[in-house]
Amino acid sequence: MIRAPRRAARLRRAGLWGLGWVGLGVAMLVWQVVAVVKHSALFPTFTATVSTLWQMLTSSFVTSDLIPSVIRLLIGFAISALIGIVVGLLTGYYRAVREWTTAFFDFSRSLPTPLLIPVALVLFGLGGTMVVVIIATAAVWPVLINTANATAALEPTLVDTARCLGLRGPALLTKVILPAVSPQIFAGLRVGISVSLAVLVVAEILGGSSGIGFFISSAQQSFQITASYAGVLVLCLIGWVADSLFLLVERRLLRWQRGIVGGVHD
Amino acid sequence: MTDPILELRHVGVTLTGRDGSVNEVSQDVSLELAPREFVSIVGPSGAGKTTLLRVAAGLRRPTAGEVRFGGKPLTEVQAGISVVFQEYNKSLFPWLSIFKNVAMGARRLPVAERSSRVRGALDMVGLQGFESRYPWELSGGMQQRAALARALVSDPKVLMLDEPFASVDALTRGLLEDVVGDLWERSSFAALLVTHDVGEAVYLSDRVLVLSTRPSRVLAEVKIDLPRPRSQGSTRQLQRFVELEAQVLGLVHQAGRSAAGERPAT
Repeated sequence: MIRAPRRAARLRRAGLWGLGWVGLGVAMLVWQVVAVVKHSALFPTFTATVSTLWQMLTSSFVTSDLIPSVIRLLIGFAISALIGIVVGLLTGYYRAVREWTTAFFDFSRSLPTPLLIPVALVLFGLGGTMVVVIIATAAVWPVLINTANATAALEPTLVDTARCLGLRGPALLTKVILPAVSPQIFAGLRVGISVSLAVLVVAEILGGSSGIGFFISSAQQSFQITASYAGVLVLCLIGWVADSLFLLVERRLLRWQRGIVGGVHD
Repeated sequence: MTDPILELRHVGVTLTGRDGSVNEVSQDVSLELAPREFVSIVGPSGAGKTTLLRVAAGLRRPTAGEVRFGGKPLTEVQAGISVVFQEYNKSLFPWLSIFKNVAMGARRLPVAERSSRVRGALDMVGLQGFESRYPWELSGGMQQRAALARALVSDPKVLMLDEPFASVDALTRGLLEDVVGDLWERSSFAALLVTHDVGEAVYLSDRVLVLSTRPSRVLAEVKIDLPRPRSQGSTRQLQRFVELEAQVLGLVHQAGRSAAGERPAT
């Protein structure tokens, strides 16, 4: 009965979605034009960058840099997500835990993670483990803080209801509290993944022996400017893929929430 | 007289704020609820009615006195007591369908019986056909019906209702009162209703208890000798209903006034 307006809405959304791609195309075009006009060895054209990228994808770059970086990203992010959610739920739910940990958490998370890289280098040496540790240390905070705040702010009625239904302990946490705070957890995870990507590169530039960050900085140092631009493009693509996957999962898992807030489209 | 199913013996509740301030909510409240009996608690706002209900449900421990359920001390929430809260929108789980919400109330039942019992409960409250809907897709009245089904699916000994109809419009409230009244007539649970609506208390109950303002005590008990079954159309027209309503209303006002007169002394 409301098919017509719905189709219109879908068309409009498709149109907006298309517009986003047009905007991206314009940005690439501007890049191309500026680079052609400037004609500088330090500023490669978009097409040159893409063709270098294409060659890289069939070279040893994939196995020695791209795949290690992606694995570090995934492991580091997974560790931060797990710790962030579990510790966040506990600190949010138990006031005693919260009071004990607040000061420590506030202190720790205000520390810029790159500062930890020299220390981590000493502890874990050059390479993958150090990078994973740095990612986990940085990305855990948005997840943890979001989860803890949402859990602490849970409706008392919701918890009372769950208790009256006989839910306690782990069942209370997994069946009621976790789903109730999942929208905020997802928001934290999304921030966490972009933080992960950022510190991945920093850690690899400062103390990596492989990886995309390492590739970009060594390409730059050996004046392979186009290759370092291509490395940056690879990072953009990884970030975009991660975020898209996230939205996909979020849309599935949190359909109920979009219903409550009245169908927010993104 | 048969042994009461639920008993509050000299229950006192004192809340201690985090700043050390002491707030005495209830002082020496005693009440008995016989099996199959319908008792309401009314009182001026701020009388701590909801706190008292949370104590009676085992959600909060009293600071003085004790609660007994089925002849044994009640120290935690327990199977056999169900609670319907005022805020259905915070009490139903928005990530679960209506069916699954009600099934949460059937967690203590044998697995094989669950889905037929859930269906039965949904039929009882007139929600057949809405099993796969989400709470936020239903009107307020229907959501409260779902909460009622979830409370009753486990076949409790005592149903506690905390201002259950305060968040719906007057017409829906009348309908819901009759749903509760009918279910109570047809089932075997005792009901404890907390409300500020004197007419509603008189209409549904066998006895109405009037609380004083904080720290609350039971000021008066009024036996409601209206014939059953009752209905909105006929019962509320009875001379006796009007008398009882006026009597209880007078007591509530008296409670509020005496508190106002007492306040300077404290």
